[in-house]
Amino acid sequence: MSEAPAVTDGPVLDKPDPVLRTEGLQKAFGGLLATDDVSLAVERGSITGLIGPNGAGKSTLFNLISGFYQPDDGQVWVNGVDVTGSDPHEIAHEGLVRTFQTPRKLEGMSVREAMLVGPQGQTGESIVPLFTAPDTVREEERDALEQVQTMLERFEIDHLAHTPATELSGGQLKLVELARGMMAEPDVLLLDEPVAGVNPTLANKLAGFIRELNEEGIAFLIIEHDMGFIMDLADPIIVLDQGSVLVEGTPEAVRRDDRVLDAYLGGGGA
Amino acid sequence: MTPSLSLPSLDDLTRAERGVSLLLAAVIVFLVAAVAIGWIRAQYLLFLLSLGGMYLILSMGLNVQWGYTGLINFSVAAFFGLGAYGTALLTANSSPIAGGFNPIVGLVMGLLLAAVVAILIGIPTLQLRADYLAIASLGLAEVIRMIVLNEQQWTNGSRGVTGIPTFFEGWPVLGSLSDPFTIALADFGLVVVFILVVYLFLRRIHRSPWGRVQRTIRADEDLAEALGKNTYWFKMQSFVIGSVIMALAGVFYVHLNLYLGPGDLNPIRTFYVWVAVILGGSGSNRGAMFGGFTVIAILEGTRFLNGLQVIPFDIAPFRLLVIGILIILIMHLRPEGVLPPQKELIWPSAMGGESDE
Repeated sequence: MSEAPAVTDGPVLDKPDPVLRTEGLQKAFGGLLATDDVSLAVERGSITGLIGPNGAGKSTLFNLISGFYQPDDGQVWVNGVDVTGSDPHEIAHEGLVRTFQTPRKLEGMSVREAMLVGPQGQTGESIVPLFTAPDTVREEERDALEQVQTMLERFEIDHLAHTPATELSGGQLKLVELARGMMAEPDVLLLDEPVAGVNPTLANKLAGFIRELNEEGIAFLIIEHDMGFIMDLADPIIVLDQGSVLVEGTPEAVRRDDRVLDAYLGGGGA
Repeated sequence: MTPSLSLPSLDDLTRAERGVSLLLAAVIVFLVAAVAIGWIRAQYLLFLLSLGGMYLILSMGLNVQWGYTGLINFSVAAFFGLGAYGTALLTANSSPIAGGFNPIVGLVMGLLLAAVVAILIGIPTLQLRADYLAIASLGLAEVIRMIVLNEQQWTNGSRGVTGIPTFFEGWPVLGSLSDPFTIALADFGLVVVFILVVYLFLRRIHRSPWGRVQRTIRADEDLAEALGKNTYWFKMQSFVIGSVIMALAGVFYVHLNLYLGPGDLNPIRTFYVWVAVILGGSGSNRGAMFGGFTVIAILEGTRFLNGLQVIPFDIAPFRLLVIGILIILIMHLRPEGVLPPQKELIWPSAMGGESDE
């Protein structure tokens, strides 16, 4: 175990305490096989990078894991619970929250309002307690507002609390998405290209925040095309190619691996 | 887009609100004067105002579905009709099913009927993308109208239902009213009560975590799911609540008009209510009420002008034209509606000192 090679052929599955695990995930759209046979494991408390050339099946895999697509075959476990075929909101309750590649703008909502959607299981989300237990709703809401304030301060965007979500820049939206995901208190957060279209300064900041959150025990699985960013941040790196895991290993080793190079240079079917 | 699409500034709001208040005040002064001069009988005015109140309720119902959640429901007239026929067939003495029940029973059954149909339509369509509810509701509206028209053994078909009691039938004092003016006054009072109950109920559920989830779904359903919200369940609640409110308008209408026919379920009513909500400002209860008021003012006002014969031709056929022009103007000048939603959906008492900013 301790002598594990820097790069393994295919995924490393025998991790001590995986927060997320998939086995043989397959999804076809018509005749096109988007993911063929994806098995992988994300260790609790790790920052795991997911890279691969365009069309490798990364986004499809995210959708399969988070419940937005139903797999044709294979299984997904979150915290050891089989969530295959569950709805996205059920998977979120098991502790897995995701963000989207294109940040979602919440029309008509202020930043802090959008943040308040994050917390799970709010009493005030049911109608009856709004009338029978308004005090409980008020207490929870007050706590949530405080938590939002703390989170916004932490991400250094507290000056945006009252700004309409539609007026944020792309980079600010990414920060809000990450902060909102945190409000849901997940065990593992799936980030889909967190720094796409974000300026380098903000990207650095974002990397810092992710590291900080990770030190508090939250696992990350991150799709990213910015190699500098992901190689610097994540360990291990999982490389996806043609719908299945090609290799997994440390950033340094993956960077030097010939198979990875081939995949990126369009070696593909050759 | 216009800058006012953002969370509106205080100045902007007070201006819109001031304008609306002035307009309403002017209308009230005009109506009172019209009654004093004798242009319009007080009893008829009360009837018109009650009719307007009914449109206010319909608009609030659609506002829950479209304004809060973004559900596209084209069967407003059908849910209105379910409430209306539900109570009419239970209370009228010409009912081919079981007349003679107390209107309170009619009210409960009418609302229940609408809730059941809403659930039955919601189960298959709310799990799918937004367009499917739109298509299904379009079909539902026609199906219900056709059933009412053709299943004469249950509904009296095109003859309609007559012999409907007032809502107060069997009540201690109000039930024995016979003076038409007093009855009109009582009906008006009833619709005011209905409006208040609906408005207060909606205001509470809207500015809450519940309303916030609905607003998130309207903006981006996938995001709401990813954040652990059971969007199907939330959409179902919104759809049923909105439909029941529409049915309440139907129940009120029947006991006001004392006659109900299949023509009352014509799709044009759905169209009017949509205009009212969009014009008033989708997502805002007050906007929906203002829109409902405006639409009924145009519909009935043109009829009223005809009666006065101040214009030398029949202007009633131009009503739709007026409404059409109004929609175009609104879309150009104020795409978010006259009184758009302005509040953050945060439980008011939790915001402490800053709630009144």
